[in-house]
Amino acid sequence: MCLGIPMQIVAIDGHRARCEAKGVEREVSLFMLQDEGLALGDHVMVHVGYALQKLSPQDARSTWELLDQLVAAGES
Amino acid sequence: MPQTSAKTWLERIRALELPRPIKVMNVCGGHERSISFSGIRAALPPGIEIIPGPGCPVCICPEEDLHEAIRLALEQDVVLVAFGDMLRVPANVPKGEPRSLEQARAAGADVRPVASPQEAVAIARAEPGRRVVFFVAGFETTTAPVAAMIAERVPENLLVLLAARLTWPAVAMLLDSGEASFDALIAPGHVATVMGSEEWRFVVDKHGMPAAVAGFTPESLLAATYSVLRQTIEGRPFLDNCYPELVRAGGNAAARRYLAEVMEVVPANWRGIGVIPDSGFALRPAWHQLDARRVFPAPVAARKRAGQMPPGCDCAGVVLGKIYPDQCRLYGRACTPRNPVGPCMVSDEGACRIWWAAGRREARAA
Repeated sequence: MCLGIPMQIVAIDGHRARCEAKGVEREVSLFMLQDEGLALGDHVMVHVGYALQKLSPQDARSTWELLDQLVAAGES
Repeated sequence: MPQTSAKTWLERIRALELPRPIKVMNVCGGHERSISFSGIRAALPPGIEIIPGPGCPVCICPEEDLHEAIRLALEQDVVLVAFGDMLRVPANVPKGEPRSLEQARAAGADVRPVASPQEAVAIARAEPGRRVVFFVAGFETTTAPVAAMIAERVPENLLVLLAARLTWPAVAMLLDSGEASFDALIAPGHVATVMGSEEWRFVVDKHGMPAAVAGFTPESLLAATYSVLRQTIEGRPFLDNCYPELVRAGGNAAARRYLAEVMEVVPANWRGIGVIPDSGFALRPAWHQLDARRVFPAPVAARKRAGQMPPGCDCAGVVLGKIYPDQCRLYGRACTPRNPVGPCMVSDEGACRIWWAAGRREARAA
């Protein structure tokens, strides 16, 4: 559960955002990052629907690679 | 900055000359999942062990709280919502009675899994005439979003049954006991993302033990392993941060602000372990009207095995890093993910469940 999923912000409405990862869009709360000045295109680490922290596109990618491996291993 | 590969980290670790065997504990189900699935353990040279410790909030969720959630779901006109892996955790009830939230649902209770606090809020909005009880077991990473949810305002019919815990006090208890079975610590990356890495400084300052915060990739976990081994060899323990991508000084200030505003830190019960000082979150008085325990006081009735792990289950030993999952005598025999006996075989963050999913199917020969 604590793993977290990196997502990219595609729309912002107040403290709510539409975020995208691998073609899947979800509503994410930016409430805990309200001091950060987030912008469209930024990547955030999402846990239980809340953005915990901003992260770089490269770091988002390396976490996605890990998640892909875990999913593949879990299905085998 | 180019990232050092897992292979390079492993070569660096293999080149180290250890003065003695070293056991490193991790305290995060996500870490354990990545370690188990990437095969890091088998790749490490002899003399270096990584043991999973207290990294699963569902596993130590008090049996009494679980029993209370089941009771509320069965006896009150409420919608009981909880994170999915809580639904199959067994409580200790007489034979024939529903022993999990899933069984309560099968018996007619309105029990629904959620993946986020927002889903709980949405259910409360959709059911304005009923009370919705959000049963929350989680560490800081999950509790902060719940605090944010409450601070942002929730519908009046949403109540919270809180079984939220802090991670570091369990490690502090183990170290203070003088019986800790590990020599170094890998601290949890997303707990530190929220709370800051400073929370773990006591491991170094008070106990002189090497420590490093890690992220979840094999590279980050191996970097942290290399760091604590180097610290051991050089005799200079310090708190390293091997997850600077997300872990900033002071953590997430807003998240900590909402946690402090909504919740206070209290002594708390850990299933099968007992009360650990300063290890639980409770709602502050301003939010007592949301507290399911106050709205629905639990009957004071003696129950058999209240608070304990299920009979024969050694989850408490697994959670505290005293034994490996496959050293429990139920592992893979009486206890499997299909028919779990203990919470560590239920939760996605439970070490037994993770080891099973990663392919370990048999108990270790005694």
